[in-house]
Amino acid sequence: MDSNSSSPTPPRWRKVAYGGMQPGFDDNHTDESFLEHMVMNANVVKRDILKVMQDSVSISQYLCIVALVMLVWTYTLRSTLDENSLLLLDVSLLGSGFLILVLTEEMLSLNLLFHYILNISFFITGLYVLAPIYQTLTRSISSDSIWAVTISLLVLHLFLHDYSGSTIKAPGALQNPTLTSCISLNASVVASVFIASRLPSRLHVFAIMLFSLLVFLFAPLVTYCVKKYSFRLHLFFSFALMVVTLAFVYMLHQLVFVLFLGILVFVNVVCPYWLIHIQEYKFEINGPWDEAKLCFDITD
Amino acid sequence: MANQKHRILMVSDFFYPNFGGVENHIYYLSQCLLKLGHKVVVMTHAYGNRSGVRYMTGGLKVYYVPWRPFVMQNTLPTFYGTLPIIRTILIREKISLVHGHQAFSTLCHEALMHARTMGYKVVFTDHSLYGFADVGSIHMNKVLQFTLADVSQAICVSHTSKENTVLRSGLPPEKVFVIPNAVDTAMFKPAPERPRNDEIIIVVISRLVYRKGADLLVEVIPEVCRVHPNVRFIVGGDGPKRVRLEEMREKHSLQDRVEMLGAVPHAQVRSVLISGHIFLNSSLTEAFCIAILEAASCGLLTVSTRVGGVPEVLPDDMIVLAEPDPVDMVLAIRKAISILPKIDPQVMHERMKELYDWHDVAKRTEIVYDRALKCPNQNLLDRLSRYLSCGAWAGKLFCLVMIIDYLLWRLLQLWKPAEDIEEVPDIVQPNHQDDF
Repeated sequence: MDSNSSSPTPPRWRKVAYGGMQPGFDDNHTDESFLEHMVMNANVVKRDILKVMQDSVSISQYLCIVALVMLVWTYTLRSTLDENSLLLLDVSLLGSGFLILVLTEEMLSLNLLFHYILNISFFITGLYVLAPIYQTLTRSISSDSIWAVTISLLVLHLFLHDYSGSTIKAPGALQNPTLTSCISLNASVVASVFIASRLPSRLHVFAIMLFSLLVFLFAPLVTYCVKKYSFRLHLFFSFALMVVTLAFVYMLHQLVFVLFLGILVFVNVVCPYWLIHIQEYKFEINGPWDEAKLCFDITD
Repeated sequence: MANQKHRILMVSDFFYPNFGGVENHIYYLSQCLLKLGHKVVVMTHAYGNRSGVRYMTGGLKVYYVPWRPFVMQNTLPTFYGTLPIIRTILIREKISLVHGHQAFSTLCHEALMHARTMGYKVVFTDHSLYGFADVGSIHMNKVLQFTLADVSQAICVSHTSKENTVLRSGLPPEKVFVIPNAVDTAMFKPAPERPRNDEIIIVVISRLVYRKGADLLVEVIPEVCRVHPNVRFIVGGDGPKRVRLEEMREKHSLQDRVEMLGAVPHAQVRSVLISGHIFLNSSLTEAFCIAILEAASCGLLTVSTRVGGVPEVLPDDMIVLAEPDPVDMVLAIRKAISILPKIDPQVMHERMKELYDWHDVAKRTEIVYDRALKCPNQNLLDRLSRYLSCGAWAGKLFCLVMIIDYLLWRLLQLWKPAEDIEEVPDIVQPNHQDDF
C-alpha cells in the first residue's frame, strides 16, 4: 500500500461511495474532510435578561389570576362573600372582559359581537340548569379530599397552561389548541366543579361556577388581547394585578403571602437568570445527515 | 490474506418477505458471502405464519424466531426475552461472528448484547441517518450508544452515515468502515431499445410519505408540466401523502400526464423504470438510496435532492442534484432534460456494473470480519467500564442491564449446558460457480 504514495501522482481519496474500495485506502480511512460539514450551535439565540424577564411577566400575571380565583373560593366557602355580591362580580367581569375585547380587537363586526352574546347566553342558561347537579355531586366525599384534589388539579392546570397564547380562540382562528392546553383547561374546570359542590345553595353554585369558568376560559383570551394591543399596557396591568393579589393574600394569611411572594420572585427573577446561565451549556449539532426542512407551508 | 472461513449470523428485524434497503442488503450480502465459502445464517422475527427455519436460494438458512412484531415490523423490546433462543442458535450453528443490521431493529440490539455477553465478536451495520434534536432521536441515539459501546467493528453505508454514526455513538472513526450498498445489475437492465424521444417520461418510485419528500413532488410536478409540455410523470408508490398528489393532479387537471400506479411490487420495479427517461428522487433524508442505483442501472438519468449520502452515490455526470426546494428542483429537471440526449442507457448500465457489485461489497465486508475477529477478548469488567463511560445515568443503567444479562446467561448455562444443544451438521451446497 505504501508503494502507491511514492508514485508521482498518488491517487487522492475522494468522499464517494461508488467504484469499490479506493486504491491505497482502507474502508475505514478518515481524512481531514471528516465532519467538515458539521455545524455547531447554528440556531442558538442570544437572549437578553431584560427581555426574558418581561416575557416571564405573563406567567406571574396568570399565577395572580389563579390566586385571586382561589381567594374568591375561600371567601365564598367561609360565607364572607354572599351570592349577590358574587353575581355582581360575575356581571362586572363579563362586562369589563367584553369591553376590553371590543376595544382591543381590530376587526370588530356586529356579527361577531352577536355571535359572542348568543354563545354566552346559551352557556349561562346551561350552567344554571346544571347547578343543582353540581351542588350534590360530591356530597359523599369529605371536604379535605376535595381541597386536596382541587389543589393538585390547579397545580396541573398551571403546569400545562399555554402561557404564550390562549386556549379559547376567536372564531376562525387557524391553529388548533394543543393537547396539553386542553388538559390544562379541563383540569381547571373540574377543580371549579369540585369547589362549587361544597356550597350551600343553588344560586351560590351557579354564581361560583360562572365566576370560575369566566376566569379560566376567558381571562387568557383577554390578557392575550391586551398583550397584543400594547405590551406596555400589559406590563402595567400585570403589575397592578400583582400588587392587588399580594395585598389580598397578605390579608388572608401571612405565611401564604411569603410563599406567594417567593414564587413570584422565582418566576420573574430566578428563572430568567437561570435560563441565561444554562445557555452556555447548549450543544446543538447540525450537518448533512439532518432531515431537510421544506421551505414552503404544507396546507393539508 | 488469511483465507479464514467465518460462520456468520446476520440479525435484523427486517428481512424477506419485507422489502426495502436493509432487506436487500442482508440478502445479497449473505448470498455473496456464501459464494465466498463462508457459512451464513440469518435470524429475523416471524412474519405472519412464516415461522421456524426456512432455506432460501443458495442454501441460505433463515431462522424466523417466533416473536411477533409489534410496531413497524419491530419486535417488542424485552431485553432478555430473546437470550435463550439466540444462545441456542449461536451454539447450534457454531457461529463465530454476529452481524447486526439497522439501528431501529430491537432484535438486532438484543442479539448483539447477548452475543457480546457470551463473548462473540460482533459487527454492526447502520443503514440510517438520525438527527440530534427531537426526543425520538435522543432516545435512539442512547440505544445505539449502548449497542455500539461494545461492538467490535461497525459498518456504515455512506460517508455521511459514518459521520452521523460516529457522532451518535462516540466510536473512534477508525473502527467505522464505509461499505456502500450495491445493485444487482443483472436484474436491472435497461430496455433493449430506447424509449421514444418525442416525449420525456419522469419516473418516481418511493413510498409517498413526508420523509420521502412527497410534498416536494406536489409543488414540482405541476410546474414541470407547465414548462415542458412534452413531459409525463409516472408515480409508483403508496402512502399517506398519495391523497395530496391526487388532489394536485385534479387541481391542475394533469390526469393524462401524471400516472399514479399505487404500490409497485419489487419484482415489477424494473418494468416501471425502463418505461422512463429520468428518475426523480425527492427524499428529505437518505443514508444511501438504493432506488437511485436501480434507476441508474436501468439507464435512467437521476435527479435527486442533495441530502444525506445521496451526493456520494453516483459520479457527477450520472446524476443532477438539487437543493430540497421546488424552484431548484424544477431547474435541475430542466438541466436533466437538456443533457438527456447525451445519455445512452446501455453505456450507463455498463458503467454501473463497474461501479457497484455485491461481490465487491462481500469482499470488503470480509475484511471487516477479519478485523473484528482479531480484536482482543475482554472480560466483563473491561466491558463494564466502557459502558460506564456512556453517561452519568445511562452508563450505570447500561452496566446494570449487562450484569443482569451476564447472570442470566450463567444461569442458562447451568440449566441447559452447551453440550446438551445439538450442533447442526454442515450441508455442503453444490457449488454453482457462475462468476468465480
